[in-house]
Amino acid sequence: MTLSVRFKEAIMRAFKTLLNIAPMLLAVIGLVGLFDTLVTPEMLHSLFIGNALYDALMGIFVGGVSVGQPFLSYIIGGELLKEGISYYAVTAFILAWVTLGLVQLPLEWSLFGGRFTIIRNLLSLLFALVIAFATTVTIELLT
Amino acid sequence: MKQASNKKRKSRSGWIMLVLTVIIYLVTASTEPSLAYAALTKSFEVLKMIAPIMLAVMLLMALIATFIKPKGIARHLGEESGLKGWLLALTGGVLSHGSTLVWYPMLSELREHGARDGLIVAFFYARAIKLPWLPVMIGYFGLTFTVVLTFYIVLAAWIQGVLTDRLLQGEHHDKSK
Repeated sequence: MTLSVRFKEAIMRAFKTLLNIAPMLLAVIGLVGLFDTLVTPEMLHSLFIGNALYDALMGIFVGGVSVGQPFLSYIIGGELLKEGISYYAVTAFILAWVTLGLVQLPLEWSLFGGRFTIIRNLLSLLFALVIAFATTVTIELLT
Repeated sequence: MKQASNKKRKSRSGWIMLVLTVIIYLVTASTEPSLAYAALTKSFEVLKMIAPIMLAVMLLMALIATFIKPKGIARHLGEESGLKGWLLALTGGVLSHGSTLVWYPMLSELREHGARDGLIVAFFYARAIKLPWLPVMIGYFGLTFTVVLTFYIVLAAWIQGVLTDRLLQGEHHDKSK
């Protein structure tokens, strides 16, 4: 089979894949729009209380349900830090924002299966907490 | 046969999700029309943003399928890929652009062709490093924080990959469950 025939077949297969996931993709994009509109930075700030573990866990929860471009998590995280929220919370928040995705779960589940999705997301959740503490302790030691 | 039934199931769950999302929008529109409009506008912005990247990823998928045979994928990213597999997954994750959504189809296909679960997980986690946005992070949190966090993310991506390989050992031939 020549390269051009293989490429044409591969393009067709790729578009079939795209068509296959299109309904789920559109649903997830619709949910992203809803979450982005409903959750404001002010709502996020009111959730932290000053306890390292609680704030880190809250950071993970809030980051996990939030959606949008990663730089938004840096901006919101930076503003939270300026207002006295700890590095524990802010680091966990940024990490959860970019590594966990509650609204993307159905698509991940349908493409990779339940076991893979659960393990990947649980590990991401656990490591958001571990890295939040490791980063904060390292920063404190270095400065 | 099994693959076809999996695809059918995936497609059906997609349609169910889409219908549920439309219902949520209709309910929101009947109670808070401005909120539904703002959410819909935001969704269109997201769609506009990811559409070109999605097409680029599809093209990339086609190129990979054309030039690299499943055996090649298994060699570079499969059970025997070793250090090269880790380096490919971690570097690929750091360099990959755009929403995670656009990478799902390609990674799922690589997985079906024999790519290891641990490498897929490492790729996903390494995506937490957003090279184009690092200057923004440095601006807000400083260079020390950025370097320390980046180091821990790469380390965590690798550890998670190793853990996933152990946890999902034996699942390789039964991934769609």
